[in-house]
Amino acid sequence: MAASLITLMILSVVVYFISKVNWKLGTIVNFLVGLSSMFYVLSLEAGSSEKIVLFGQKLYLEWTDVSFYFSMVSLMVIVAVKFFSIRWLETQRYRAAFNMFVLMMTAGSLGVFMAADLITLYIFWEIAVLSSLLVVPMEREEAKRAAVVYAIISAVGTYAFLYGAFLIYQRYGTFRISTVVQSMVDDTSTGFKLAVFLLLSLAGIAKSGIFPLHTWIRKTYALSPDAFSSILSGQLSKLGNYIFTLVISVVPSLKVFSDLIVYSNVPLPNYLLITLGNISIVIGTLMAIKQDDMKMLMAFSSVANGGYILVGLGTMDPLGFEGGMFHIFNHAVASAVIFMAFAAVIYRTKTSKISEMGGLIHKMPITFLAYLFSIISLAGIPPMSGFISKWMIYQALVRKGMFITAFVAFFGSIGSFLYVFRPLAGIFLGQLPKRYREVREAPIVMLVPMVLLVLVSFFLGVWPFPVLQTIENIRMDLGIATSFKIVDQENWLIRGFAGSWNTVLVFSLFLTGFVVAYILYSLFPRARKVDLMVPHREEGTPLNVYTGGEFIYSPDLYHYNTNFYAGFERMYRNHPSWESITSAIGKLFHDIGEWFHRWFFASSASAYTFWVVATLLLIFWVRW
Amino acid sequence: MLKAMFNLVLAFFLVLSLEGIARKIVARVQRRIGPPWYQNFIDVFKALSKHPFSNGWIFDFGVIMALGGAIATAMLMPLGSLKWTPFPNTDNFFVIVYLFTVGALGMAMGMVGSGNPWASIGISRALTQMLGYELPFLVVMASVIFNYKTASIHQLVALQSEKWNLFVMPLGAIVAFISLIGMMGKKPFDIAIAPAEIASGPMVELSGKYLGLLQIMHDFSLFVEISLFVNVFLGGGNLGWFLVKFVVVWVLAVLISAVLPRFRIEQMLKFYWGVPLGLAFLNALFVLFGLTL
Repeated sequence: MAASLITLMILSVVVYFISKVNWKLGTIVNFLVGLSSMFYVLSLEAGSSEKIVLFGQKLYLEWTDVSFYFSMVSLMVIVAVKFFSIRWLETQRYRAAFNMFVLMMTAGSLGVFMAADLITLYIFWEIAVLSSLLVVPMEREEAKRAAVVYAIISAVGTYAFLYGAFLIYQRYGTFRISTVVQSMVDDTSTGFKLAVFLLLSLAGIAKSGIFPLHTWIRKTYALSPDAFSSILSGQLSKLGNYIFTLVISVVPSLKVFSDLIVYSNVPLPNYLLITLGNISIVIGTLMAIKQDDMKMLMAFSSVANGGYILVGLGTMDPLGFEGGMFHIFNHAVASAVIFMAFAAVIYRTKTSKISEMGGLIHKMPITFLAYLFSIISLAGIPPMSGFISKWMIYQALVRKGMFITAFVAFFGSIGSFLYVFRPLAGIFLGQLPKRYREVREAPIVMLVPMVLLVLVSFFLGVWPFPVLQTIENIRMDLGIATSFKIVDQENWLIRGFAGSWNTVLVFSLFLTGFVVAYILYSLFPRARKVDLMVPHREEGTPLNVYTGGEFIYSPDLYHYNTNFYAGFERMYRNHPSWESITSAIGKLFHDIGEWFHRWFFASSASAYTFWVVATLLLIFWVRW
Repeated sequence: MLKAMFNLVLAFFLVLSLEGIARKIVARVQRRIGPPWYQNFIDVFKALSKHPFSNGWIFDFGVIMALGGAIATAMLMPLGSLKWTPFPNTDNFFVIVYLFTVGALGMAMGMVGSGNPWASIGISRALTQMLGYELPFLVVMASVIFNYKTASIHQLVALQSEKWNLFVMPLGAIVAFISLIGMMGKKPFDIAIAPAEIASGPMVELSGKYLGLLQIMHDFSLFVEISLFVNVFLGGGNLGWFLVKFVVVWVLAVLISAVLPRFRIEQMLKFYWGVPLGLAFLNALFVLFGLTL
């Protein structure tokens, strides 16, 4: 395993030089490397472990079912995006660097999932974060600031993590996760365990954009290179979810905090995380509904979905755990496809504002379908796989009697219909503005990864058992309510605590419904297709749609996509904003810095000399 | 499969006749005579037989998806007992509710695909309204499922054989009924359609068979919504009993809507997130402490 990680790191430099010579070849090599690491991951056997000695420090790597699951999810997204960029990268300035950093980030992420001690985890974590950080400001000038915010908030998370790791080392004398788990269970000091739990999970909170540290998500996802947003949302945020899995489930929070159970067999620290997840769901949903920039909209959606995953995992319920784990997969695939579809739209139209688009369905039908099926999955509607994980999380919440959390989850789910419909209506449906009359479908290289990922999600919505079985095995290994079986593959059933359902049956009903509807549709007289703009194509008058007697000469004006939910948005226009609070704190630090700057770095040479002399005198006087 | 087909046939004839009867009732409330009870059959078949206009493939696809989703959900619906449950393994509440949204999404997509802003406004209102009525309803349903430890509809029906859920948790039943009126889009919650304001909203571009098919879809949706309420709150019984309860709920909803004006969209949200949601949580609290009647 160590050899493979080092190979990937070296290959990233090789890919850089190949891309310098021929960027297309470099990208293809990059894709092939990703693909082969996928096969490598498939060939690894669970339970194998390795030790590296680096500067006298022992680093441990171990391959478990959890690492396998997270690595597969990550690699799927990464490989898809790498294929996507074979064509998309032509819009970029720093192609070679993009390829190098993406590969480096892949190595870092895999290292995080392989790490068996906290320091190794930290090292690879930083590799992944830093290399992704350097990609963020590549395309847009404004993204530089976003990258700084990303760096700072990531640093908050990682340093908290490191501090927690050192606390653990000080007390137990080891970084090994398996040993730490044992010591934590035996430890009697609740305060210490609580502190470590919160410090470690802060890294996950920062990375997956959970409430107090979610402010970087909007700008970073929106302004980073378009295809890279897929990786940010679909893969990198899953590093945060990995940390949650680690601190909540691998370190068995039920056993460790057995004296801190607050409600319905959920310990206090988990409850804290669930509360944060709830707040993220509400904030993410409400903010996503009112965004005009489609990438910002999906960024807030990622915040909300991060909340879902956290809520599911935090319950420590068999259904909640499997639902949360499966939601990681579903969100990864769906958001990756959505961001890729957006990248394809931006590739053609050069804008990311919903209000500047419309009617692109007639020009980019396959991109539209990829987007459509992904939002069906994201909003949790059968027969796509997104529904299954949501169903499990609901079951867990109802089973626990956590009504407020359930309410928030319902709110997020129905709210997600609202926000995912906005790009659908604003970008793809409605009137096509005149300036996009020449727009064509995205190139085939960009369509292939989207379509493949959609097919995977679709297949798993009908037959989810391969992934669910993997997750169930993980759950059995971690010993979470081992007597409770969810997957019943013989009868094609998924069993919750309250009733079961048959995924294949639901899909066949769906199909039957469609077939019946289609038969009915074709039984009756054929429709005459009218163009929205005919007969006054030259003027572009929408004569074939109802205008209430008005003559409208611009199709752009006859397209409803700004302030889509005006009635609802009005209700929370003057909401309190966490972002303004954090920016106020930022302003405070900036002002302090300015003050220091004015005093100590004045532009006159005499003042500068004065401070130098004063400092030297001070040093002599104290005799340091 | 036969039972599922029966569901469809029943839904079609029952709800279309009931809609005709509803027109009659409303007319009588307003001191008019009103159309005959079979008027809606005439309307649907007339619409289906006319030559329509289509606004592009997404418009057609949306209509088919809407009808398909509604048909799929209607096929899944138990009718008051295990004997009339088409798929006992899969009649899970959450599955039904989410399968139901397929139709809604199809309709939304097709209608916005017509390129008419009135349709978009109607859809934006409909989705906002969904946020209004679904939340109290789902909270009530969560407490029902928590109480009976099952989300399977036919099991919920069986568990009420002694005492209807209406009497076990009256608060929950009231909230669910208020949500039901919103789901059905009856006044005062017909904000999405609002003929006088936004030219019938989503339906503005429909002609001929599109209108007819969406009317059928609407019937199936009504069937699912009311059946869900009857199953969960009004106990079990044989098919005849089920139909009687169905008709009573329908007539009650129609009578209430006949005398009420229309809400504005934010009034609707404030209403649903006020008293009904509060009562739903109160009901959940009662269930949690075992204080059901």
